[in-house]
Amino acid sequence: MTLPLVQINNLSLRYGNFVALDDISIDFMPGTCVVICGPSGSGKSSLLRCVNRLEDFGTGDVIFDGQSLKSAHNISKIRSNIGMVFQHFELYPHLSVMNNITLAPRYVNGINRDEAEAKAHKLLERVGILDQANKYPDELSGGQQQRAAIARALALEPKLMLFDEPTSALDPEMISEVLQVMRDLARNGMTMLVVTHEMGFARDVADEVVFMDKGKVIERNASGKFFDNPQSDRAKEFIDRVLQKI
Amino acid sequence: MDFSVINDNIEFLMLGLMRSFQLAIFTIVLSLTIACFIAIGRVSSKRSIRYPSAIFVNLLRSNPLILIVFWFFFLVPLITGKTLPEFHTVLIAFVVFFAAYFAEIVRSGIQSVGSSQVKAALSTGLTYSQSMRLIVLPQALRNMLPALVTECVIVFQGTTIAYVIGMREFLHSTSLVAERTVRPVELYLFAALVYLVICFTGTRLALFLEKNKELAR
Repeated sequence: MTLPLVQINNLSLRYGNFVALDDISIDFMPGTCVVICGPSGSGKSSLLRCVNRLEDFGTGDVIFDGQSLKSAHNISKIRSNIGMVFQHFELYPHLSVMNNITLAPRYVNGINRDEAEAKAHKLLERVGILDQANKYPDELSGGQQQRAAIARALALEPKLMLFDEPTSALDPEMISEVLQVMRDLARNGMTMLVVTHEMGFARDVADEVVFMDKGKVIERNASGKFFDNPQSDRAKEFIDRVLQKI
Repeated sequence: MDFSVINDNIEFLMLGLMRSFQLAIFTIVLSLTIACFIAIGRVSSKRSIRYPSAIFVNLLRSNPLILIVFWFFFLVPLITGKTLPEFHTVLIAFVVFFAAYFAEIVRSGIQSVGSSQVKAALSTGLTYSQSMRLIVLPQALRNMLPALVTECVIVFQGTTIAYVIGMREFLHSTSLVAERTVRPVELYLFAALVYLVICFTGTRLALFLEKNKELAR
């Protein structure tokens, strides 16, 4: 029997009086691509940040690959198995694209510079920006920066990739190039949790869709079923509104 | 006016200037190093680290430099029963005093980088101290370079305070020659010119760095 890669048990998170996550229990199987969607402030990004403990959750726990994040003493080691891609890329502006990618392999895994660079070359080729390796982030377009950020996240060969609205800060014509890279990753069996408003991606690529509202998981369904026949009224409303925008 | 008096005493004056440079450079290197730790303490999420750092900074910034120098010159020997050479006394006072000022510059530099860069670094498996060292501080340094250079100019000007406890820095050397030769106008004009050249160069450098921040990459 395959065990879930991520198990979230009774997770709650508060910012002062605001309840960002309210007693969430959900798990994610390896090799699946799950899109998490919902209105703004529904807790999607907070949930994602709890999966690698960038957010210190109050109650509950996240079990990643059999290890509890709450009681983990080696959180950095666990995080090195979880790649994360941010809405605003968060590349290091003082480092070249190559150094952005090789930094963690060198300092976290302790591999030498040559080996790290050889690996980075392959990753840059994979995301289609090998010719940008020696440039600095501010010399790249938004789409190229996000692809570099994906390469950086992949550099440690993570078991799980988290995408926090990876296309929200991009111009429309650059969205497709980033989605294409994500599509390829999903096709190659990477376990992915993707917070996005790209419903096309959710329908075509995701295995499942999780719909959240007010810090709770309202619905979880296979992506086809979610779009064709949403179970909850709130999800129906959300889909109608999002599709209207398109 | 007879400016030959400067030429006649140039070796003695330059010795004083070297002493001023020595004091300034040691102060800058040591206080900036300490300031980095205090600044990281100032932005720490742990109160037990944040509060002592804040107290240190506010205490030192609320007192004039001359008082800190007096403290180390008069009071520390009283408490410890040991007297230190003037240079060491002034250096310790300067390092403690300017560490507080540098710490505030470094703190604002760190805060200018933003927590999302730390989150990105942590998410790749780097530890908090690695994230600070490899990601935050290099960017912070670039952002705060103009302010740092300006503060270095202030440190250099501040070396004149060492005069009050008899350390033979540049101004003291100048004044000794002025008294001996009874040529105060020429000598103090010369001193003003030297301070002007050094400090003006520093200020222009700060302005240049302000305008060309990307050069500091």
